[in-house]
Amino acid sequence: MASVTQTVKPISRRFAVPRVLRSIIGSQEAVLFLALVLLIAYVGNENGRFLATRNMVNVFSGNAYIAVAAIGMTMVIITGNIDISVGSLMVTLAMFSGAISIYTHFPSWMSENSIIWLAWIAPLIVGGIVGAIIGFFVTYLRIPAIVVSLGFMSILKGILIIVSEGERITGMPDGYALAQRHPLEKVPLPIFEDFFHGLTMPIFFMFGLIILVALWMRYSATGRALYAVGGNAEAARLSGISEHRILMLTFILNGFFVGIASVLYATQFSVIQVTLPPIEMTIITAVVVGGVSILGGTGTVIGAMLAAILLNTITKALVFVDISPFWMRAIQGVLILITVLADLLRRQRQSA
Amino acid sequence: MAVQETSLKKPSLTLRIQRLLLTQEGVLLIITLIASLIVSTQTDKFLTTENLLNQGRLMTEIGLLALPMTFIIITGGIDLSAGSIVGLSAIVLGYSWFNKGYSLEASIFIALAVSSLAGLINGLFIVRVRVPPLIMTLATLTFYRGLAEGIAQSRSVRGYPAWFYELGQEETWGIPNQLFILVIAIVITAIILSRTTFGRSLYAIGNNEKAARFSGIPVSRNILLIYTFSGFMAGLAGYIFVSRVSTTRSDMGTGWELDAIAAVVLGGTSIFGGTGSIVGTVIGLILIQLLKNGLALTGVTGDATIVVIGSVLILSVLINTIIQRRTVGV
Amino acid sequence: MQPLLELQHITKTFPGVKALDDVQFDICAGEVHALLGENGAGKSTLIKIASGVYQPDAGDILLEGKPVRLGSPHEAQSQGIATIYQELLLYPELTVAENIFMGHAPRTPFGAIRWISMREKARELLASLNIYDLDVTRKVGALSVGNRQRVEIAKALSLNARILIMDEPTAALTEADVERLFNIMKLLKGRGVGIIYISHRLQEVFDMGDRVTVLRDGRYIGTKAVTDTTEDELINMLVGRSIDNLFPKAETQIGNVVLEVEHLNHKPLTRDVSFQLREGEIVGMAGLVGSGRSELAQSIFGLLPAQSGIIRINGKAIRVRNPRKAMRHGVAYLPEDRGTQGLVRQMNLRINMSLTVLRMLSRASFINRQKELKLALSTIEKLSIRAYSPNQIVGKLSGGNQQKVVVGKWLATMPRILIVDEPTRGIDVGAKAEIHRLMGELAKQGLAILMISSELPEVLGMSDRILVMREGRIVAEYSRADATQENIGMAMMGNIENGHPVEEHQMDGV
Repeated sequence: MASVTQTVKPISRRFAVPRVLRSIIGSQEAVLFLALVLLIAYVGNENGRFLATRNMVNVFSGNAYIAVAAIGMTMVIITGNIDISVGSLMVTLAMFSGAISIYTHFPSWMSENSIIWLAWIAPLIVGGIVGAIIGFFVTYLRIPAIVVSLGFMSILKGILIIVSEGERITGMPDGYALAQRHPLEKVPLPIFEDFFHGLTMPIFFMFGLIILVALWMRYSATGRALYAVGGNAEAARLSGISEHRILMLTFILNGFFVGIASVLYATQFSVIQVTLPPIEMTIITAVVVGGVSILGGTGTVIGAMLAAILLNTITKALVFVDISPFWMRAIQGVLILITVLADLLRRQRQSA
Repeated sequence: MAVQETSLKKPSLTLRIQRLLLTQEGVLLIITLIASLIVSTQTDKFLTTENLLNQGRLMTEIGLLALPMTFIIITGGIDLSAGSIVGLSAIVLGYSWFNKGYSLEASIFIALAVSSLAGLINGLFIVRVRVPPLIMTLATLTFYRGLAEGIAQSRSVRGYPAWFYELGQEETWGIPNQLFILVIAIVITAIILSRTTFGRSLYAIGNNEKAARFSGIPVSRNILLIYTFSGFMAGLAGYIFVSRVSTTRSDMGTGWELDAIAAVVLGGTSIFGGTGSIVGTVIGLILIQLLKNGLALTGVTGDATIVVIGSVLILSVLINTIIQRRTVGV
Repeated sequence: MQPLLELQHITKTFPGVKALDDVQFDICAGEVHALLGENGAGKSTLIKIASGVYQPDAGDILLEGKPVRLGSPHEAQSQGIATIYQELLLYPELTVAENIFMGHAPRTPFGAIRWISMREKARELLASLNIYDLDVTRKVGALSVGNRQRVEIAKALSLNARILIMDEPTAALTEADVERLFNIMKLLKGRGVGIIYISHRLQEVFDMGDRVTVLRDGRYIGTKAVTDTTEDELINMLVGRSIDNLFPKAETQIGNVVLEVEHLNHKPLTRDVSFQLREGEIVGMAGLVGSGRSELAQSIFGLLPAQSGIIRINGKAIRVRNPRKAMRHGVAYLPEDRGTQGLVRQMNLRINMSLTVLRMLSRASFINRQKELKLALSTIEKLSIRAYSPNQIVGKLSGGNQQKVVVGKWLATMPRILIVDEPTRGIDVGAKAEIHRLMGELAKQGLAILMISSELPEVLGMSDRILVMREGRIVAEYSRADATQENIGMAMMGNIENGHPVEEHQMDGV
């Protein structure tokens, strides 16, 4: 074992630089980043229009809501659980948000602005509550998370269909379309003005939240406790970490982030559909491809975000290299396989 | 110190019934009976032969997925790609016949072969490359669906010859044709799981794969077999579904894997592997179908029934967990 | 002297079992107090009461003479009682420093962790234990078992533990690591820490212990100063009867060569190995942990198919590609770790025993349940396994009885070549003697037995011939007459400086 060979090194050194560097280069995040850069370079070389500002913004923002939802899923999977109800929850919350924005019977003292804010905030709270309920079943009643969330997937889907009666929501007020805003529009910039002006809100949400959560998970006590619970729940219990508290928090946060994602999802177009694409699978795929071990205990949100962006880049790229979009998912599947295999190979080499 | 005499005697009948009722299958059986009792008092359309047989027809496809899924979950694995293989099978069938001009019989054969191959590929990666089953089948969930979409190019195939619809839409002696296939499959899988060395090895693998390997059980071969079997059954389900609904589309079977898993878990198979039975899965299937049907007949709008199914899934597992905890007495 | 911790008249009952009955125990500052007992004697229950996991039904716990209640592991920790369990309770993904300070890391007023000061403190702690070769920023998952244990000890000290409970700490360690552990223990003793030490190895008790307490069947048998007692006396107390001859190797008729291995390779742990095994012969195989003994056995058994070399059984060369092939030629392998390799612990005796012979018990792959039950019953009878029914879950049996189930399932295959890997590890003295007697009988019946063991007395007592492995090679061979503890020990150690690939073991819990 390596520990025997590296005897008495100067102890006060704070950063063992070579190892830090090595661990960055060898990480799944780096692999994904490289893949992303290569893909963009390749497609851009094949067809220059791919690199146009508008398209690049689309590439980065298209899956932003997936990346935001993947934050919660990353935490859930790190603690050794899973939640397959997030897709149903997200669409339900999106419909809920849209419905609030067009609801006309609020008391007259509520301004249109405050109603819009309510439509943005309420899904977060409801998401957190649903997360708490799921968390309660998993934590205190000790039902496997996959079973609870399978049940909740049905329940939420059913509620969604009953309440919406299958109708879509349109006619939201102008100010509601959060995801279509360009926050830097009015800010004069010396370089890349076009690019920065074109950036839409979801991109800011995605990067902002991911950076915050990545720091939180890396350095805060609670964030580290997530890894502890996922890595060795028995140990966590015996060393006095409240496993229950951590698990509850994880599921509540998961619901909360799905809430944020649902607002981004709801406000990206002028209609909100009831159709249910298998969002949960896309989110789980992003998390897994991002390097989070399904057995719990390892992984970061940054990997999940990069994977979400990569998946969307592949989709968007096909058009530019003249491949029928119907092959999109097959190619996505192959790439998922390749990244998973690369990750597996890397881990095996590390442990050997 | 050997075995005490008393324990070798067969336990009394009441004790055995008590034990049966305390299993997940027992709990489910009671729920099913109560549910059907309630439904039949609410509407007289429920307890008709015609209705019941028709329900059997409707649950055949999910049932065919749930049987191999039981095997797989018992070994501690999972197959999320089953629904996508259903779609792939349907598309390959239509494509071979309509676009490639093969005979319909040959097309059915090709569809089943491709589906089995899809399952085999899952198994090979899981066994040889040691990709965790959840991740492998998550990847092929996307990949196989993508293949179906790519081959189909969003065109659907219709207009099959009349004999093709016999399996999915006709009856023999008043019983829907596909129900025979389902019943035969149930009987065979139940016997394999409970009576054969193969079935026994699945339980051993699910509880402790390493010990199974050290005991000389062909672990890799058996895992390979069950994933291939899962692919084959998904292919069969795809064929039957096309025959029932008369058309071929690439989104067929979307989400079915979750329905099948729900039936398996509802039937008492632990999602962590090691325990479970085909009988449980079948009761799980029947209960789900019963709830769908019963609620629809009593006037609850169609999709709302899935709310009830989700709740029943959680509740039944909850009840079972509580009972297990009490009897084990931890 | 006032004891640090006293347990008086402790009684604890579980449904159906009286685990502890009026037991007493105490520990003073600066002493190592060994706790001995067969499996199921109540050691684990007693330390779980001392560490707050269980509450006693009756009895008092006194800390420095004052009664206390230890309601949870957390409360026990805050009273200065730390426990190091057999299965180390660490987080593989977190760093050494984080593991040491898990739950009580230095914080800023806002609740954030003070990373730099935490690392400094972790280094200081390790340095105080004379550990300078452990990088506190490394992930624990990448460490060897010995290093992980050092992290556990540092973690206990970071909680200002005055009493350290160690549950079989040497079970999974290499010789070098054991030595380091003992040095650390001496250091702690010097600082006034009281150590409760549980081990199956009597030798260690004599090496490290000051006093020793023996439990049997949940009852307190006695406490002795180590200097006033002998191995024989302790064994007597442990089993309640004297065992005259622990290793009854009967004289057997040694017959023809049944197994012949030539130039077998499975790198890195099996290198150019050649040896022979004869009918009625027990060949002992000594070596350090990680010297490649288990890997050699697994190569012969087909779990790690050989890369090159020849395996001959009854004179016929055979390619052993998988265990089934080996079994068909009459090879049986009792693995070293019965918990993860030998048994399916969640399943019952009947199923475990038939797992190796399903083919024999079935027709057209349908299992004959009558035959299966009969096999289980006769094995229970023959090996006197203490179980109330063949339908009992194996995991609930004691270690010795579990081992007998493993023996039973392999004897059912009617092997001609039996490879046993650490056949008596972690089981009590009584069961050990029974397994030894059984091996003697089997040899008499003409079985060829290859016995891998890390206990030299066992190897010396049981074997007709002894092979010593080091770094994947057979480095020495002794006849029963020539073998001594010294010359085998020398051959095992060889030149230690080269370092050995360290194999990670897991012992199953009690």
